[in-house]
Amino acid sequence: MNPLLPTIRVEASQSQEEPLDSWFKREILSHEALLVSFIARFWPRDQDIADIRQEAYIRVYEAARVSRPQAPKAFLFATTRHLMADRIRRERIVSIRVVEETELLNSMVEEISPEQRVSAHQELARLARAFDRLPSQCREVLWMRRVRELPQKEVAARMGLSEKTVEKHLRTSARLLARYTHENALEPGVHYMERIDSDEAERERGPQQGR
Amino acid sequence: MSADHNRDVEECASAWLARRDSGAWSDADQARLEQWLAASTLNRVTFLRLELAWEESARLKALGAGVPDDRPPPRGHWNLSPFPLSPFPNSLRAPAQAGADLAGRHPRSRRGPGYSAFLRHLTRHWHLAIASSLLLALAVGVGAHWARLGGERFTTTVGGLASVSIADGSKITLNTDSRVHVKLTKSERRIELDRGEAFFEVAKDRDRPFVVDAGGRRIEAVGTKFSVRRNSGSVEVIVTEGRVRVDETVLTAGMIGLAGEDGLLVQRKNLEDAELHLSWRRGVLMFRELPLYEAAAELNRYNVRKLVVADPAVGELKVEGNFRPTNVMAFVRLLEAGFPVRAEIEDDRIVLSAR
Repeated sequence: MNPLLPTIRVEASQSQEEPLDSWFKREILSHEALLVSFIARFWPRDQDIADIRQEAYIRVYEAARVSRPQAPKAFLFATTRHLMADRIRRERIVSIRVVEETELLNSMVEEISPEQRVSAHQELARLARAFDRLPSQCREVLWMRRVRELPQKEVAARMGLSEKTVEKHLRTSARLLARYTHENALEPGVHYMERIDSDEAERERGPQQGR
Repeated sequence: MSADHNRDVEECASAWLARRDSGAWSDADQARLEQWLAASTLNRVTFLRLELAWEESARLKALGAGVPDDRPPPRGHWNLSPFPLSPFPNSLRAPAQAGADLAGRHPRSRRGPGYSAFLRHLTRHWHLAIASSLLLALAVGVGAHWARLGGERFTTTVGGLASVSIADGSKITLNTDSRVHVKLTKSERRIELDRGEAFFEVAKDRDRPFVVDAGGRRIEAVGTKFSVRRNSGSVEVIVTEGRVRVDETVLTAGMIGLAGEDGLLVQRKNLEDAELHLSWRRGVLMFRELPLYEAAAELNRYNVRKLVVADPAVGELKVEGNFRPTNVMAFVRLLEAGFPVRAEIEDDRIVLSAR
């Protein structure tokens, strides 16, 4: 019997484990919309939100490197909550009694935890809206590259731009898309806006419809 | 870690991403990227986040099926409803109308024939069940139906909170128990605030003034952010960016205007105070040394079960903190824990008195 065999087996099973990076995208980064609204709800200064979000990602990534949490989403929100509590203690930026803080944060975490179901349709709608918010040239360049799958060189030729400029537009597009797709998320626990039956609007439209 | 540093790292990460996509990418480049990623966890998570957005952008292909050109269609082309399907009471009625709309009255509709191709593609693409693709078709049909109407109305129920982007690129956030009527024409963007409170983030458009009509008060903006709230007998306007004209008076950022029957009262606040008034947009009410009777009145806008202050001394107590407006019980528990207050909880109200 080769005494090394068990060791080899262990290595083999480890190498089959999903790479940390793709695990992180699927289990952590996919919750960004909810995470951002979670932070925004509690944190008084908008300009800190991205900062807090990145810090939370760092902590979760580093923890997962050692051992991946069993419940990644809950772990992400708990980490963010601790991080905000730390900041409050450190920076003393909000004068809130600690009980209220804890109460608020706890109640929010409870609301967050039930799985948010976003339909494929809503996801696509969200993506389309984010895409529409891009600056015009970014929008065109991204469309040619990602939808029509033209190489950057070809995109540059068709648009009469330098390759450097195309690359720059793609850079901007990636950053803006990452931001825009996670804004405007439907918030958990709130009532969705409803549209009123449009008969009334139809009546009011009257004769001026000649487009 | 600072916000500036984060931004720099994001710049770097996006540059790596775009370079890797350019076609001229060598093993040496890959090694340098890996070195950069390994240098700090911030680098890595920032890169992964942008990479995910980049990967997801490929799903735009589902929208490209009906577009013949290499260029993207004009903005607002898809007009996908941002709403979940359930709140549409009339969605079952919509397809016939939408069908007529596409086929008959608007032969040169921008949606055109590619529209159904888009739906087919979408269905194939995501292996949606037949039932759900039918729902999807209904939803898009409803969107199309609404798009050609002269106006759209949006409402929230008591305790509700929601935002919607309208076709000119502006965004409206509605607070509890509110209703707006949006009418976009070539010369004007007109919003009637029928009741409640709304926050407006106005897209710039010099040629089309953005006008909010609140019970006869005219509030006009060009490109700015402001809120309008209707109380009984008065209208409150808070400006957080740019300039807004209320009747004949111009308000700038940080100003709160209270328009009553006797005229307009303008308070100059700092921006932080103004923002405090608008914390409802994130689903939180922030009270700073607010007398309890005012805090109770504020919370009552969001709840069916009302707080009643039965004792003037209790009403004068100052409360401070951040509260979920719809979680009135948490508020009451905190009051009882921290103040000499007793709460009697009844079905439709909660009576607060001195203990």
